[in-house]
Amino acid sequence: MKKLLAVISLVLAQLLFVSTVSAMPTNSNQLSDPRVRQALCMAIDMVTIGETLFEDQIIPADSLLPNGPLKAPNLPDYSYNPEKARQLLAEANWDSERELDMVFYYGDQSTADLMAAIQAYFADVGVKMTYRLLQGDVGAQLNSVPADGVNGPAAVDYDLGYGARAAMVMQEYYNTFKTGLNPQTPGDPKMDALIEKINSSADPEVLKPYFFEIQQYQMEQVNICPLYYQKLFIYESNKVDRNGGAYGNAQYNYNWDIANWNVSGGTLQTNTGPVEFFEQPWYNLGLWIHNKVVFDRLLVADGAMQPIGTSMAESFDLSSDGMTLTFKLKDGLTFHDGEAVTVEDVAFSIRSAMKAPQMHALIGNTVGSIKGADAFKDGSTNDVAGIKYNIADRVITLELSKIDPNILTTFTQFAILPEHLLGDTDPLKWQQSDFWQKPVGSGAFHITEVKMNDYAKFEPFDNYHGGVAGFDIIAYPSYDGDGNLIKNAAAGKMDYGFTKNVADVAALDAMDNMMTKAVDIPYTRMMWIMQYPKP
Amino acid sequence: MAKSSLDKKFDKIREREESKSFSTKKRSRIISKFVNNKLAVFGLIIFSIILLATIFAPLLSPYDPMRVDLRSMRQAPSFDHWFGTDNTGRDVFTRVLFGGRVSIFIGLGSAILSALVGIAVGCYAGYKGGWIDVIALRISEIFMSFPQIILVLLLVSITGQSLFNLMAIFIVTGWGGMYRLARARMLSLREEEYVQALRSFGLSTFTICYKHMLPNALSPIMVNITLSTAMFILTEAGLSFLGLGVPLNIPTWGNILNVAQDILVLQNYWWMWGPVGIVISVFVLCVNFIGDGLRDSTDPSQQG
Amino acid sequence: MLLVISFLVYLGLELAPGDAVSHMISPELASTITAEQLNAMREAYGLNQSFLTRYWLWLTSMIQGDMGYSMAGGVAISEIMAKTIPATLELSIVALIFSTIIGCSLGVISALKRGSGTDNSLTVAGMAGVSIPEFFFGLVAILLFAIELRWLPVGGRLLPHYETVWDRIPNIVLPSMVLALMMTAGAMRYARSSMLDVLSREFITTARSKGMPEWRINILHGFRVALTPVVVLIGFRLPLLIGGSTIIEQVYQWPGIGSMFIRSVRASDYPLVMTISLMYVFVVLTASLVIDILTALIDPRVRLGKE
Repeated sequence: MKKLLAVISLVLAQLLFVSTVSAMPTNSNQLSDPRVRQALCMAIDMVTIGETLFEDQIIPADSLLPNGPLKAPNLPDYSYNPEKARQLLAEANWDSERELDMVFYYGDQSTADLMAAIQAYFADVGVKMTYRLLQGDVGAQLNSVPADGVNGPAAVDYDLGYGARAAMVMQEYYNTFKTGLNPQTPGDPKMDALIEKINSSADPEVLKPYFFEIQQYQMEQVNICPLYYQKLFIYESNKVDRNGGAYGNAQYNYNWDIANWNVSGGTLQTNTGPVEFFEQPWYNLGLWIHNKVVFDRLLVADGAMQPIGTSMAESFDLSSDGMTLTFKLKDGLTFHDGEAVTVEDVAFSIRSAMKAPQMHALIGNTVGSIKGADAFKDGSTNDVAGIKYNIADRVITLELSKIDPNILTTFTQFAILPEHLLGDTDPLKWQQSDFWQKPVGSGAFHITEVKMNDYAKFEPFDNYHGGVAGFDIIAYPSYDGDGNLIKNAAAGKMDYGFTKNVADVAALDAMDNMMTKAVDIPYTRMMWIMQYPKP
Repeated sequence: MAKSSLDKKFDKIREREESKSFSTKKRSRIISKFVNNKLAVFGLIIFSIILLATIFAPLLSPYDPMRVDLRSMRQAPSFDHWFGTDNTGRDVFTRVLFGGRVSIFIGLGSAILSALVGIAVGCYAGYKGGWIDVIALRISEIFMSFPQIILVLLLVSITGQSLFNLMAIFIVTGWGGMYRLARARMLSLREEEYVQALRSFGLSTFTICYKHMLPNALSPIMVNITLSTAMFILTEAGLSFLGLGVPLNIPTWGNILNVAQDILVLQNYWWMWGPVGIVISVFVLCVNFIGDGLRDSTDPSQQG
Repeated sequence: MLLVISFLVYLGLELAPGDAVSHMISPELASTITAEQLNAMREAYGLNQSFLTRYWLWLTSMIQGDMGYSMAGGVAISEIMAKTIPATLELSIVALIFSTIIGCSLGVISALKRGSGTDNSLTVAGMAGVSIPEFFFGLVAILLFAIELRWLPVGGRLLPHYETVWDRIPNIVLPSMVLALMMTAGAMRYARSSMLDVLSREFITTARSKGMPEWRINILHGFRVALTPVVVLIGFRLPLLIGGSTIIEQVYQWPGIGSMFIRSVRASDYPLVMTISLMYVFVVLTASLVIDILTALIDPRVRLGKE
């Protein structure tokens, strides 16, 4: 009976408001009412926050997708408007006694400051909110999906969440709204259909109108409130000259052409050195310096992750239906230990990536699309039907069982690892191999000295196909956000690196010998809103 | 059976004892010695000033410690904002006062509570002995075989961060010292003549233990409480540096001082960390002075 | 004792939220990893076994001298310990030497000039040293000496061009001095009171009555006698120091056991947390035993076994 009433009122609402959005709560949780979500979104003055807390280094967001050709033209306007927010809350009969519980997972000071600011903005429109830092099993506390992907109840206990999505490809922003995959937003057939559309082709022009549509729909619903677009900042000391090498999304691999940089003094100091081990390169694709310089990939992307050419591949060919991809390797490639790189190593890497659990979604998607991947994963076959290769010809062919719009991007990021050193490793314990104490790749630099937790030293690799660098690299164990960056840079211990922390940028800019360069990256900080009923 | 006159006398003493008509007035010597210690008196005065300032914080400051004013962030100290404003435009002076409330509450509260636990267990176990004593001793040994900070870190990561958890952890890690101290005093006092005498009056264990023996063990306990207060306040600050202290939405001295981790702030905005750093240090120093003064005035073996 | 503690720590870790696998997945990528993948990983690490089974497996291998492997990186724990313990010891011992030398000399000066302005100001200064939050002190020292003046490095322990031990001295100066300052007050107090104690003893009075010059009395007799117990006592503050250097290691990017402990606790790396905490316990227990024996040897009034 209750459900029937809900349906009737839903229909009525549709008629009354002449809008695609039902201005009604869909369940007992008031946050399922789009008016409440819109109000919360409008209550936050992102422009002021950007100009003050974030030192004018961020861009307030108007949808999940970054600004660019895919931005839909007539998005609803949720810029700061406290009166409108109060009015919407009044219309929705907001329970002013309810205290919203906001969670976040960044331990830094500027996030704490942002939380204090949002709390104050909410209080201004009459919404109570407290915030807490998640600890322990953050993934499960944040992302557990309800058993019933339409009616809930929620499998997690927060009301609001602050976090980010760093996407390499634009579909990543929306794919998680699929029914049964989203921890906060109940499944919705219309959304599912739109998701289907944006994944239906490898041609960006075909996808563009679909992206407009899904973007428009998501913003009408505001089931996630986009807050701001984060830039990435590359900093370099005056010792470094890129010599024409590009600047781009430094969290991944792109055509920066490090082998041809000029570094005065002959040593490039950077951070992201190892503490206990070198992290395997298929997870945080280009976060660590060794990801970028020790390993090599088949293709090369530009700074915005568009495939633009080849690296280890001599040539490649993607069939017109997008279902068959062929690579031919360059001749004479070797790993740092002198062993030849063969298509067998490529096939081995792909097979291992099917089973290794700690995997970037992009790679996981691609290797999972290869014909026979499922049978190989569950152990019923020892070979993957869709991988065929010929060592003598240096040719490998991948046949897909379903289309993967981003397969070429994957191969600009997918490091090829040596089978002769990793062949005996259990893919489930990939990271536990001794190999990661001093990994061997085929990239522009090889590791010559490792003092775990002190530094790692990389020297140019003589047989690199892209030229031999004229300098060494020293990597210290410090990371984006651990607070040591500025200390080290101020003491002249840092020549290259990147950060997403705007407080760091102001400090780096103030140093005479450092320059910073802002790079637009698809990285949206957002506020998740729990729309399922409480457990 | 007729009571002997001695019995009657003893009964009278017991009666007066039980009706609490005895009063003790022997602390004057200690107080006068304490007062003569200039540092301790100085410490006590500053301690009281800071304590009162935090208690009456709302009267001293017109601001709300949580009120954000982004357009007036990072302002240098002025007549309106005595200690300037922080990253979100909150008044630092107000936050130092309100933060002090929480920090002092954690420090002093944990010290007193852990002392109560330690004393309660220590006196009883020390006086009675037996299996209670053995068990309590073993448990305290377990807690005391870790370096303090290591045990606190371990427990924080197990229980998660909250004000309540932090205090509970401080009590759990802090009671052992107090227990041993109380127990040792009890063991030595137990054999003294006046205790034997009390026992012969037929007073209950409880009364002897807590009413007659405890006051004689009080001075080292007081010293211990002050020193633990200082230590807990510093530990709270250290934990917030590691990101494992009180959650950031509650202002504490440690959380406020934590902005100094940002070198930019450290270099350019001294008012965001300077005053709070000084207040913590001065407060802890004063607590240490008081502790020191107490020790000197109560322990005859420590010469001025 | 160690056994009970090891069980309690293991139990505590079991009750803590999250496990090693959940910590290997960064929150931003967590939504892309399926529950099946996580379960496969848990199985591979043996985390699906019951708590008691895991404890038993850990205990038996530990008894056989095999500390096991770190979960995050599969590195032998013995190797991690062999790298981090020396770093911490190095820092602690240097700090201890500094604090002993400074503390004892200041303590003796204080005792000799008892009641004077010097005595009082030294006492105040010593106590101020223990009253400043150590991370704060460390950061200010970095700002001053490493960033503004550039006299000393900001942190770290080894650099690629370091060849001899001498090259490493600049790196240890700041962390050890800050750490030493925290302990100077204690050393000073010991030194001062035992010096005072000795000065009042009879043989000093005798020496004085024989007309020996004051400075000779102080140095030859007072000093020597007073400092022996002090040095022994301070020496055994080492375990305290090993735990106490945790925060300073973090401030100065010092790759010691303390910063490794924080890392492993945060990553729920059970085998590593277990080994490091037991090592701490072992150090503390051994030290207190040795202290008992030594104090008994030095002071005949204290007999072993007496409570």
